Amino acid sequence: MDINSRPLGRRDFLRGSLAAAALAATGSLAACATSGTGTSTSQSSAPAGQVSDTNPFGVQSGSTVDAVIFKGGYGIDYAEFAGKQVEAKQQGVTVKVTPTTKVAQTLQPRFVAGNPPDVIDNSGAGLIGINTIRDQLAELNDVIEAKNYEGTVIKDTLYPGVTNPGTFDGKFIVLNYALTVYAIWYSASLFDQMGWTVPKTYDEMLALGEEAKGKGKYLLGWGKEAATYYQTMAIGSAIKEGGDEVRLALENLKPDCWSLPPIQDVFNGLKKIIDAGYMKPGGSGTVFTAAQAQWSDAEDFILYPSGGWIENEMKDQTKSGFKMTGAPEPVVSSNSKMPWEALHSTAGEGYIVPSQGKNVAGGKEFLRAMLSKDAAVNFAKTKLSSTIVKGTVPADGFGSTALQSQIQMLEKAGSNIFSWNFVDLYGMNTDQLVVWNSFLSGDSDVAKLTKGLQDITDKVAKDDSIKKVQVS
Amino acid sequence: MTTLASGGVTSGVSAPPGGLRRIGSARWRRRNLTFDKISFFLVFLVIPVAFYVGFVVSPFVQAAYFSLTDWTGFTPAMNFIGLSNYAKLFTDSTFLQAMGNNILMAFVVPIVTLGLAMFFATLVTVGGSTRGNIKGLRNSSFYRVISFFPYVIPAIVIGLIWSQIYDPSAGLLNGILTRLGLEQFTSFAWLGDPRTARWAVMFVIIWGLVGFYMVLFIAAIKGVPAEVFEAARIDGAGRFRTAISITIPLIRENVQTAFIYIGILALDAFVYMAALEPGGGPDNTTLVMAQQLFTTAFAKGQFGYACAMGVVLAVITLAYAGLVFAVNRIFGGKSEVGE
Repeated sequence: MDINSRPLGRRDFLRGSLAAAALAATGSLAACATSGTGTSTSQSSAPAGQVSDTNPFGVQSGSTVDAVIFKGGYGIDYAEFAGKQVEAKQQGVTVKVTPTTKVAQTLQPRFVAGNPPDVIDNSGAGLIGINTIRDQLAELNDVIEAKNYEGTVIKDTLYPGVTNPGTFDGKFIVLNYALTVYAIWYSASLFDQMGWTVPKTYDEMLALGEEAKGKGKYLLGWGKEAATYYQTMAIGSAIKEGGDEVRLALENLKPDCWSLPPIQDVFNGLKKIIDAGYMKPGGSGTVFTAAQAQWSDAEDFILYPSGGWIENEMKDQTKSGFKMTGAPEPVVSSNSKMPWEALHSTAGEGYIVPSQGKNVAGGKEFLRAMLSKDAAVNFAKTKLSSTIVKGTVPADGFGSTALQSQIQMLEKAGSNIFSWNFVDLYGMNTDQLVVWNSFLSGDSDVAKLTKGLQDITDKVAKDDSIKKVQVS
Repeated sequence: MTTLASGGVTSGVSAPPGGLRRIGSARWRRRNLTFDKISFFLVFLVIPVAFYVGFVVSPFVQAAYFSLTDWTGFTPAMNFIGLSNYAKLFTDSTFLQAMGNNILMAFVVPIVTLGLAMFFATLVTVGGSTRGNIKGLRNSSFYRVISFFPYVIPAIVIGLIWSQIYDPSAGLLNGILTRLGLEQFTSFAWLGDPRTARWAVMFVIIWGLVGFYMVLFIAAIKGVPAEVFEAARIDGAGRFRTAISITIPLIRENVQTAFIYIGILALDAFVYMAALEPGGGPDNTTLVMAQQLFTTAFAKGQFGYACAMGVVLAVITLAYAGLVFAVNRIFGGKSEVGE
């Protein structure tokens, strides 16, 4: 008896996660069975307050805004700051900011019970796949069309293209708040000292690898959880090389999309670097932060592809005098469709407003506060990272070389800014990591990498139970 | 329980109808009505059963039901889709690979761990000097204490410690190996090479558990009268023969229980993997079903499919326990005693 029940009893996390969800679900399940309707009927039940220029969404006085914020690299104090702004502007409204580190696990029961928070920062490793909940989210067009606290229409204050990553099938439902620039990062001080220049093509990278080797350094390195940073770089390079055609093929999960010539050229360029031994070995067994410290602290290797969060992430493990600077991802040839300065930039920290929340207007008001000047400047200053709001970072980047270079790269890129969604949208990263780890460690070749990635794409493409987003 | 049974027997036996039976059942009924009895049943039977049904059985039933739906996990809505999740599961190469990894671990980890634990337990209890009383090696209580240390550390911490030890560039292991002149281990990725990753991970699990099972076996061996070992020794049995012919048969039920416990752990292994190989390892060689279930549920938003994985995992676990019982019985044990 004891022994037989033991296997079941051990299934802690089935019980832990499902029991909570299932228990919470039973009530609403029963309700669902009787009513037989779907979900996503917007039921902004809270009686609307007076709509005016200063209260564009009609937040009810005396209502509470329930904000659940991912507590990661950025903390939650910037959200609390925005909450204070809402409370100051809207009489009698209270904002309750709750931190969480595991968004999906924490909020899953609340979504099932039809009782989600009013605004969520859906970020971090445990975020809710947008594809899963996108029917249940309010459209946010009215937020960016409203005026901010300074009286300017919010849309006009944002960097170009920042709403693209949050738009699915024409619906703008995710407001990505923190601007992320993807680049190749290096120490400007080290490069000056050695007389190196930033490589603009894969051939130049190979040549730099040779020089670095002469100084006893590797060119590149990686960590096992972050092997796909190289995928991000490769896709970025391929899009610059082949233009939108490449991006759309990948986004729409086209057959043989990974075999497109620009992508293959990039893979071959990388393979040459790996075969030449310019990649620091052992990455597939190294924790990614340890690998990053080999770059920022020990300077074992000199270039690292990553997002703009890298400075904040490695703050405690960066050598003093390491002038962290970013450069756009390399192109393959000099006649690429987009210039080298074109930039892969997207926005992170995806804020969503569930349409079933009790106070949808309050959730939107919270976003309006975050997009207003005070909160945006506060974020840039305390997190050394720009929001999607323009002009919040002074020329000295609050003393951060990385932030400075981000803003410069954005200015030089002009309108040549692109991004893609398919990896996160369909949750492919875990599977892709496996393929990339073996490619980077030299155990596989371009053909195997291509096949591995294509198999992952095809598996999603062929699975009818996964809703696809058409990108054009 | 005993009262119920004897009451039943009394009424069943009394073929000639008579006063005896009536008195018996009346007495049984009257006794049943006492406050003591009712409160006893309530506290020790009704409440635990209610808890068990509410918090153990019903989630399982619900999970089994969800596995037949296309529930995403984030809406109250779901459609019944029959067995198609299971059909998908058995053509899903990643899941099948995870299942294979788990099954391999469920055989290697218990055999190695329990083998080592038995070896050490024998040494510190009956493996000592062959003169005088039956006793363990000198300082055996010291070995017993230090071998238990790893079990005191939480599994997640063990995982984190070992992921540092295995670090290719700065890890202790490669540091020692290269210092010994084995240059081929410079920057060797123990957790990143498909040839070594699963063995490296299994080693950590075994390292963490040997001490516990050793203590378990020591307790069992101490329960065996010393005369048995003395008799074997007088008959000329050496240490190895004693272990095989005396110790193991006498503590057979403990071994079986240990086998089932550790097998279940190996079929789960989620905590160790979360720390050592959160991504499933090189070429998915260390991916376990629990990890795949977790990603499917929370990252991919396919709770129905994830529940199907959970059901398969539970079935495999039960089958494993059944297999251990069967093997034990084939070799002459009585599995009932194992409880």
